[in-house]
Amino acid sequence: MRVALRELRRRPGRFGVATGVLTLITTLLVFLGGLLDGLFLGSTGAIRAQDADVLVYSAFSRDSFLRSRIGPELRQEVERVPGVEETGGLGLALVAARVPGEEEPADAAVAGYQLAPEGVPPTPPPGEAWADRRLEADGVRVGQTLLMGPAEVPIRVRGWVEDTSYLLQGTLWVAPETWRRVQSLSRPDAAVAPGVFQVLAVRGEGDPADLARAIEAGTGGRTSALTLDEAVFSLPGTAQQNRVFTGIIGATLLVAVLVVGLFFVLLTLERTGLYGVLKAIGASSRQLFAGVVAQAVVVTAVAVALGTALAVLLALAVPPEVPLQLEPARAGITALGMLAAALVGSIVSLRRVVRIDPATAIGSAT
Amino acid sequence: MTLAWREVRRARLRFGLLAGAVGLLIFLVLFVQGLTDDLVTQFVGAVRNQDAPVLVYGADARRNLEGSQITPAQAAAVARVPGVAESGPLGEGTFTMRAGGALVDAVLIGVDAGGPGLPATLVAGRLPEADGEAVASDRDRGDGFDVGDVVRVEPGGAPIRIVGRARDINYSVSPTLFTTFPTYEAARRIRNPDARAVNPSAIAVRPEAGVDPAALAARIDDEVEGVEALTRQQAADEAPGVSAVQQSFTVVNLLFYIAIPLVTGLFFIIVTLQKAGALTLLRAIGAPASVLVRALLVQVGGVLAAGAALAVVLLVAADALLGATGASVGVDLSARTVVVTLVIVVVLSLLTALAAVRRILAIDPIRATTGAGVSA
Amino acid sequence: MSAALDLEDVRKVYRAGEGEVVALSHATLQVGEDEIVALLGPSGSGKTTLLSIAGGLLAATAGRVLVGGRDISGATPGELTRFRREQVGFVFQAVNLVPFLTARENLLVVDEIGGRRKGPESRARADRLLEELGLAHRAGNLPGQLSGGERQRVAIGRALMNEPRLVLVDEPTSALDTRTGTQVMELIRTEVKGRGTAAVIVTHDTRMTRWADRTLHIDDGVLSAVPAAGPEGGDAEA
Repeated sequence: MRVALRELRRRPGRFGVATGVLTLITTLLVFLGGLLDGLFLGSTGAIRAQDADVLVYSAFSRDSFLRSRIGPELRQEVERVPGVEETGGLGLALVAARVPGEEEPADAAVAGYQLAPEGVPPTPPPGEAWADRRLEADGVRVGQTLLMGPAEVPIRVRGWVEDTSYLLQGTLWVAPETWRRVQSLSRPDAAVAPGVFQVLAVRGEGDPADLARAIEAGTGGRTSALTLDEAVFSLPGTAQQNRVFTGIIGATLLVAVLVVGLFFVLLTLERTGLYGVLKAIGASSRQLFAGVVAQAVVVTAVAVALGTALAVLLALAVPPEVPLQLEPARAGITALGMLAAALVGSIVSLRRVVRIDPATAIGSAT
Repeated sequence: MTLAWREVRRARLRFGLLAGAVGLLIFLVLFVQGLTDDLVTQFVGAVRNQDAPVLVYGADARRNLEGSQITPAQAAAVARVPGVAESGPLGEGTFTMRAGGALVDAVLIGVDAGGPGLPATLVAGRLPEADGEAVASDRDRGDGFDVGDVVRVEPGGAPIRIVGRARDINYSVSPTLFTTFPTYEAARRIRNPDARAVNPSAIAVRPEAGVDPAALAARIDDEVEGVEALTRQQAADEAPGVSAVQQSFTVVNLLFYIAIPLVTGLFFIIVTLQKAGALTLLRAIGAPASVLVRALLVQVGGVLAAGAALAVVLLVAADALLGATGASVGVDLSARTVVVTLVIVVVLSLLTALAAVRRILAIDPIRATTGAGVSA
Repeated sequence: MSAALDLEDVRKVYRAGEGEVVALSHATLQVGEDEIVALLGPSGSGKTTLLSIAGGLLAATAGRVLVGGRDISGATPGELTRFRREQVGFVFQAVNLVPFLTARENLLVVDEIGGRRKGPESRARADRLLEELGLAHRAGNLPGQLSGGERQRVAIGRALMNEPRLVLVDEPTSALDTRTGTQVMELIRTEVKGRGTAAVIVTHDTRMTRWADRTLHIDDGVLSAVPAAGPEGGDAEA
């Protein structure tokens, strides 16, 4: 193993090829992971942030905020279900926001709420909002007054909150009446009456899945109740996006396995004579193979570091409308995946190392 | 060419791994490409394949039908712009519908019967002529949206009868119906009884003969307050999400494209270096360099062919898998895309293989006699 | 007194297609504790086979092989690996040094594989051996920077690193000119004798036999004390 590591130090050039290719693959993986996270986290923030056990939609909404309506009567029915402790109305409107001093309007989601989500302060006074920091990129600043939608409903930004965006739009957390005003004035066809919300956030006791079933039963099928996780994946495209991206990432990791395998088979072949000699003087196949694995792991580790750095640089050059989000956790998973690929890939060389006959070291002139 | 093939047979593992890696990479390139194309088509197919050359959005909509509204005054102003031959409302919304006995989210697009904005890619049946009739996307025919099927907007909407099917007219990756504007308006009121007025999302415009759509769009922008007029092409390409999707995947595909020739080119350089001794010997006994170079190129070609075959098999499997899991996206690849991709891959790979060719040409047969073969 | 190497009626038969090739026929040989035996024979005579069997690289078809009184005839591959690591030193025909390690590190490899000596102790032994071999000033050089004779001297040092009971030397001078070859043989004799270690040296060059205590001839797999044919029988290729 020491010999193998020394070879890496003395002859780095010979590993340059593999390092280069694996660096590229790492960049790809980090980038793909960043897109997945950007799409997923950016789409689901407003729901993930909910400090609730269950979200209740109206039955015909097909679990969509925009189509769901919960009136005061239905809300009372939900509140009567045993296990329900607290409910809060929630409403979302996707509208363009005019930002003072900016040419382009910002895409925003105006969210009226009663129960404060995690990281969001209690409901602000009407006409004011806690803004998601995503809007900062659109030129939004604390203290500004934004004009929402064609009716130009004014909303003043009080402060920032983090990771609460909805369908890649920065959320403005406002009082329910402010949301209703924005919704009714910008979409007269989708106007909401006072007291009506789109969705109810419910806090209760016991297992959320059981509570959700109890609420659906308790309202006679007029509601569709989802746990927070279910609600996240019921957002349009979310589950599918995750599957497709995971598939692409998996196939890319497989390429890494094949590249490591290919490269170290070539190296092992080149070292047949050397390994024969080392075996003759008493090295075991295990020791030699451990050397191959050590090299594969070190080469991959270097490639992961380079590739991640490259991805970070590349991310700077990517236009801001690409929903790319580089998360440390994702980088960690990618690194682990690559190292696993290095281990699996180096196994291809195992048989070659074992098969080398130490007897070839004697009586041969090359 | 026996020389080339014999070597491949002897070293099946090496060439197999290479072909596997190349095949997977080609697969990924094509898969990502196909997915992007399919996704974009499903996002904005309805815009791309409707027959109005110019669409007028609300200025605040940021080219998104979902967020766009046109006031009656704006609609009238657009109709008066010189060069407009015909204009009509276009309403778009997502509704819960009952189709084929199940509840689905579907997009309704309402336009004037016989007016601009109807699908241009009809493949079966006819266009809607009366209220309560609709054309569905050919893609959704198996989900209760075939000609003759009846669907309803829930809860309690009037029946909508499918009278025709058109190719690639989906919007927002949902089942999509083109119907009359009054049918669309009725659906809006079902969804929200509190609605006060139902304005169109956009105005579909047909220019007079000889009027350039781009020029007309610019004129509408100038003359009508609070709207953004776009040509059909612009409306499709600049729809929110579409350019983001395309840019993201362009970067990903670029990286995959770089990886393929890198892997093949470097493999053949290493292999050529490793057999320098044997190649020197072959040169010494009189094999012309061109024979050795040709053998190398045959191997490169063989590996790429095997990789491409593997990629096609994987693509078919992936498409079937996506279909089986009920995913609404698939792999939408035209023969042209596949051919162009393969040509790029082959050209790039041959270019990097030139480095290995240079090595072969640099071999001096005299070294065979001095015994300087492979150096450790 | 047990012999360093004791071959009793050893046979080695290779299967070649339908028939068989006898590489070694009923070879019996004893090498004393600090004896140097030269094994002289033309190529294909079976001398390499004998050396490989004595070193635990090849299993004999029949007969007993004892090294330092220990029978290795029935040993498993793992046991043989350990045996080679601990009991035998090899000097190969081609200079098989690890190309990317310095002279000193090539010696240290032996201890890294064996793992029985710790760093400082290991380094001290390697430096002492290089000093004895006249290579102290070359310790930090890579094999590519050494002359043929120097490389072979490093190989001798490597063979002695593990304090073997038996050193097996395969055509040590075939790649060297006469003068350098002579120096190398002298070194082998000095080093081996100085440690009371036994050695078997395989060669086809009769001139190399004068450094041995005893010379045996081998031809067609048959071992004998006198040349099989002619006064210079073994020197066929010279």
